[in-house]
Amino acid sequence: MSARFAPRAPDPARAGIGLRTPHFEALAGRRPALSFLEVHSENYFADGGPSLAWLERFREDYAVSLHGVGLSLGSADPLDREHLSRLSRLAARIEPALVSEHLCWSSVGGRHLNELLPLPYSEEVLAHVCERVSQVQDMLGRTILVENVSSYLRFASSTIPEGEFVAELACRTGCGVLLDVNNAWVNAVNHGTDAREFLAAIDPATVGEIHVAGCETTPAGLIDTHGAPVFPEVWALLEETLARLGPVPTLVEWDTNLPALDVLLGEAARADAVLAAAAGARRRAAA
Amino acid sequence: MKPVPALASLQARFADAVLDGGDERLAPLLAGDPGVNRRRLAVYRDAVHANRRETLRGAFPVVARLVGEGFFDEATKGFGWRSPPACADLNRYGEGFPAFLAAYPHAAAMPWLADVARLEWAWQESLMAADEPVLDYAALTGIADAEPEGLRLRLHASVRLVRSAWPVLAIWEANQPDRDGTPAREEGTDDVLAWREAQRVRLALLSPPEADFLEGLGRGLPLGEVCAKMDGRDFTGMLVRLARHGMLGGYSVEGAAKA
Repeated sequence: MSARFAPRAPDPARAGIGLRTPHFEALAGRRPALSFLEVHSENYFADGGPSLAWLERFREDYAVSLHGVGLSLGSADPLDREHLSRLSRLAARIEPALVSEHLCWSSVGGRHLNELLPLPYSEEVLAHVCERVSQVQDMLGRTILVENVSSYLRFASSTIPEGEFVAELACRTGCGVLLDVNNAWVNAVNHGTDAREFLAAIDPATVGEIHVAGCETTPAGLIDTHGAPVFPEVWALLEETLARLGPVPTLVEWDTNLPALDVLLGEAARADAVLAAAAGARRRAAA
Repeated sequence: MKPVPALASLQARFADAVLDGGDERLAPLLAGDPGVNRRRLAVYRDAVHANRRETLRGAFPVVARLVGEGFFDEATKGFGWRSPPACADLNRYGEGFPAFLAAYPHAAAMPWLADVARLEWAWQESLMAADEPVLDYAALTGIADAEPEGLRLRLHASVRLVRSAWPVLAIWEANQPDRDGTPAREEGTDDVLAWREAQRVRLALLSPPEADFLEGLGRGLPLGEVCAKMDGRDFTGMLVRLARHGMLGGYSVEGAAKA
């Protein structure tokens, strides 16, 4: 009898990277030390083929995080059962350490915009999203992490600050928070709010993962492109956040203008240093 | 799920503004400066189109190269308008793009373009087809000897056949990243076989009788019946080739499925 495969858990003292197809071979050849690899769940929804085969190979060496971009958690439509069952099948096959989705909507009335669109933050919407997160967690048989998104528009009907909305969602459903520090900063700049106020509203015990990424400055505001190095302001916010939270699995995301693997690993090494400093400060404080 | 009419109405107006243009009905629902909001709405509008265009570029790289940047941008915008994504998984977006190109007036000067797109979509389908065991050469010879009557062979899930009145394989090959775009042949009616072997999609040219034979197998006809239509041609070599390259998925004999 062969030993059952044991899925790996992320090492909170190290950073991970988003896994993208052009890096498969380089990563498999070098197997750098990384806490975990994160993939967009939908890219592995096929019934077979090379992408799934690669992911099955990588899960032998790394903890895996399934990060969904298509569940449309905040849509007024009923939950997409087919999408959810594909996610459920993938999770059963890959046994990920983490499963996450976005606090947003991307489809309504059967129309698919395939984009992370912002929600109004009201009591009605909070109750709606809580119900759906609970349904998803029941269907998957596990808790999920929900990520704060970047937004370029806000709604007049929003009555709850974003940080409180996210905190309350976690409190009511038991879901974790995927705290995207870049998104917090993008929103603060775009809407003239305070990123630190947002971050302070989140209960540290609920944060299961952190994201950092690069964005783009445009005349319309900051656009969350995931296509550039992490901004200095975001590194500073990450330092403050990890000093408060202690080490949490931290991921560097890069999706457009994808650089060579080395550049991405360089960003991950920088996040490693921030994580190490946070761990060191904790040890000193405890001593 | 409790209905959320206010949210449904807000999202419907947002989707209208992003997909159909205009922001008159959305603007009153937004907070902040209207001028800034108009520019920010355009960010979402551009992102939705760019996602679709780049998804299609990923699936149809040869079409994108053949038509050039401006044409591809316009064509994908028109296709997005006519056939928006039907699900949240963009990897399945693009099935209708070859038919769209076939009827696209601006592509009339490139009558082979839609067939190149059909070949690229066949490549995509083959790439994403289910993993399943193959019926290998040894197994094939065993059953072919023992049960020649009523034997039906099933093609592997990754096998696709594209039949074209144009030299589409030559055009496809000439427009791979390391080639200058000049096809090795300018004549030909290509029947192209696509399949996945060792997790790579492969393409091969078939003769018209070989393509007929493969089509017959694909329709689930008994092997004897497929061969009978072939004017006495011997397809042993073709069967060996199919089996050796993992293009057979299983067989059945008079209704009893095997493998």
